[in-house]
Amino acid sequence: MSVDAPPTAIRRGVLPLARLRSKPPLRWRSLPVAGPSTPARLLRLGAVLVLGCLLTAVLSLFSGLSRQAATEQGHGRATELTEDAAELYRALADADAMATSGYVAGGVEPTAVRARYDDDLARAADRLVHAAGELAPTDPGRPLVTTVAQQLPRYSAMIEAARFYNRQGLPLGQSYLGSGSALIRDSVLPAIEQLRRQQTAALAQDYQRGGAIPFAVLLVGAAALAGLLDAGRRERRRTNRILNPGLLTATALVLLALLWWVGATVFTDVRLSQATRHGAASTALDDARAAVLQARSNESLVLVARGGGRTSDAGYTARLDRVLGPGGLLDTASAAAGPAGALAIDEVRAAALGWRDAHGQLRALDDGGRYPDAVASAIGTDPAGSRAAFERLDTALGRALDEQRAALDRSAGAARSALTGLAAGPTVLALLAAAAAAAGIAIRVREYG
Amino acid sequence: MSGVQVRRPLVYLGVGCVLALLSLLVPGSAGGFGTGAVVAADPEPASTGAAPPLTPAPRCTGTRDSLRPTGPLPAPGAFPAGGAMAAIVARGRLVAGVDQGKYLAGYRNPATGDLQGADIDLVRQIASALFGDPAKVQFVVLDIADRAAAIERGQVDVVVDQFTVTCARQRTVEFSTAYMTAAQRILVPVSVNVREVDDLAGQRVCTSRGSTTEDVLRALPLHLDVVTLPGIPDCVVALQQGRVAAVSSDDVILAGLAAQDPQTRVVGRALDQARYGVGMSPRAPDLVRFVNAVLERARADGSLAASQQRWYGSLDPAPRPAPARYRD
Repeated sequence: MSVDAPPTAIRRGVLPLARLRSKPPLRWRSLPVAGPSTPARLLRLGAVLVLGCLLTAVLSLFSGLSRQAATEQGHGRATELTEDAAELYRALADADAMATSGYVAGGVEPTAVRARYDDDLARAADRLVHAAGELAPTDPGRPLVTTVAQQLPRYSAMIEAARFYNRQGLPLGQSYLGSGSALIRDSVLPAIEQLRRQQTAALAQDYQRGGAIPFAVLLVGAAALAGLLDAGRRERRRTNRILNPGLLTATALVLLALLWWVGATVFTDVRLSQATRHGAASTALDDARAAVLQARSNESLVLVARGGGRTSDAGYTARLDRVLGPGGLLDTASAAAGPAGALAIDEVRAAALGWRDAHGQLRALDDGGRYPDAVASAIGTDPAGSRAAFERLDTALGRALDEQRAALDRSAGAARSALTGLAAGPTVLALLAAAAAAAGIAIRVREYG
Repeated sequence: MSGVQVRRPLVYLGVGCVLALLSLLVPGSAGGFGTGAVVAADPEPASTGAAPPLTPAPRCTGTRDSLRPTGPLPAPGAFPAGGAMAAIVARGRLVAGVDQGKYLAGYRNPATGDLQGADIDLVRQIASALFGDPAKVQFVVLDIADRAAAIERGQVDVVVDQFTVTCARQRTVEFSTAYMTAAQRILVPVSVNVREVDDLAGQRVCTSRGSTTEDVLRALPLHLDVVTLPGIPDCVVALQQGRVAAVSSDDVILAGLAAQDPQTRVVGRALDQARYGVGMSPRAPDLVRFVNAVLERARADGSLAASQQRWYGSLDPAPRPAPARYRD
């Protein structure tokens, strides 16, 4: 590193250029960037700096696009499908509860019960069509939706057969009802639950992708920045000039692009973490609702079988324990939702405890030989009965779920807005930086011309 | 010091690219700064209360007769302390295991929600003799395969559900005297040309799980594909849906089904003879003798025949009450 390097370098640079006419086969040597001369070195340096900026631009473009896609897809498709699956589950579980309770009541089912069953099936069909439209042909959820679509007409046919026989006063109706119920419980509802879990997992994955640290962009950007800084420092020393405006501009632009990325990532990640938490709370509440609906179905089945057969109240207890127990679904939902959602979830807990008490009284009636009173508690309108308590719980669950879903929407929306321009902005900055670096080096090279 | 240096920016860029490439390749780096963990999906609780599997017992043939009543029927409520009847009276209701899908025998009237049928009549008679009130009954609907087990675990006092007296069941169940006889036959759609079980060789035939008819079907040298479902009505659903070719059970049960679906009929020779008794626990011989006394009275005063005439009168041939046989 001698002080008088520039003149030597210039001389050395001229010589190979002079030689090039006599030795054309060496093509690399023939290029102006080749050789030890200062302009050649400068050109090489410029090429490296421009390459660094361009790489930063390209990576920034692709990472930004992939992130935007992740949050948009995540928000659009998976959340809608998750909600479709949850509502489909609820509609069909409710339809089956209506069919069963209409039967437990005896006689021709009340008009209101029949209307609610029809409404449930219409809502289910609506959700099913929507979900089918959202699913790509290769989506693993597709066979599940197909299963539901295939079984649904079979189910409603069995329920109609049950109604027909009931009207005739023939007990074959209850066999049709039992077969239809079993079809819903054993093959349709599990398929829907699997669909919901799939979509929840996909959503979590998308959010994780959307909020991940952009290592590639940051590393290449930092390398480009370090190169620019190093080159700028050396140029200043070599030429004793204050600053090279081109390199300085390029450095600032790359720095700005990097800061944009860091800022957007931190903000997005915070928002997506919130979204993930609300998503986890929604999932726990959806699971709780499924468990509660299963418990309700178990209550009816035990009544239908009058405590015999394959039914037992243990199925109810196990499901309510899963919802209410320590570390259960409501605890999970509470922990994930944070203090803001705690109120609604506490209401769910209170309603669940109330229903468990009412159910306990129902069981005591049935076990005490007072079957008609137990049936009245299960399907009657007494506000102290099991049915009223169940509906209070269902309403509370719906409210808490709506709250969590809205919070999820808000967080995901904020995350998405933080990603606005992430693909274009830093890319343009890095491209400008490349141009500035090229201009900065070009001025220097021209000084040797 | 002041020479133009390409090396360092090149090294920076090279190292940056290599690390960036690594970060893209290593999957673990996809995590965010503080992304919360996804709630693990916990598996569904397994369904509870499954029917216990049939225990293969060594072959036994021949059935033993029941226990003779001790004198005439005592007055309702007046039972020796410490006995089974006193315990039932103290509880305030008789717990009876029945079916609610056997048309005419034990079935739920969909219009009223009440259980009725010939077997239900018998339960009411037993309750009447115990309490002087036929309404003091708690019905428990049992799967066919669960009847003996329900007695064994003390869930029910009596099982009145066209319960065939068999040697194997007598290991865990004490039967009353038979109150009715029946013959195992087959139910087929009227549209098919099946006259005998032999016409069904190799086809799917449905019966209830854990019934005696299942063993009879499997023993036939016809390579029948025997399908078992929890109850005979489930088999009729399967028959109507075309999933099985025929249903086999006792003629009275099949007649009840044919009465519900005019597109089916009962055909074929008797594959097996069955005698129905009231099932009770061997630990309550006093209850067995008491129920036999109730049956004696019902045979004597014609109420048993009247009940059977009321429910099964339209069947051809109508079943008749069976005579009592005792081992003392």
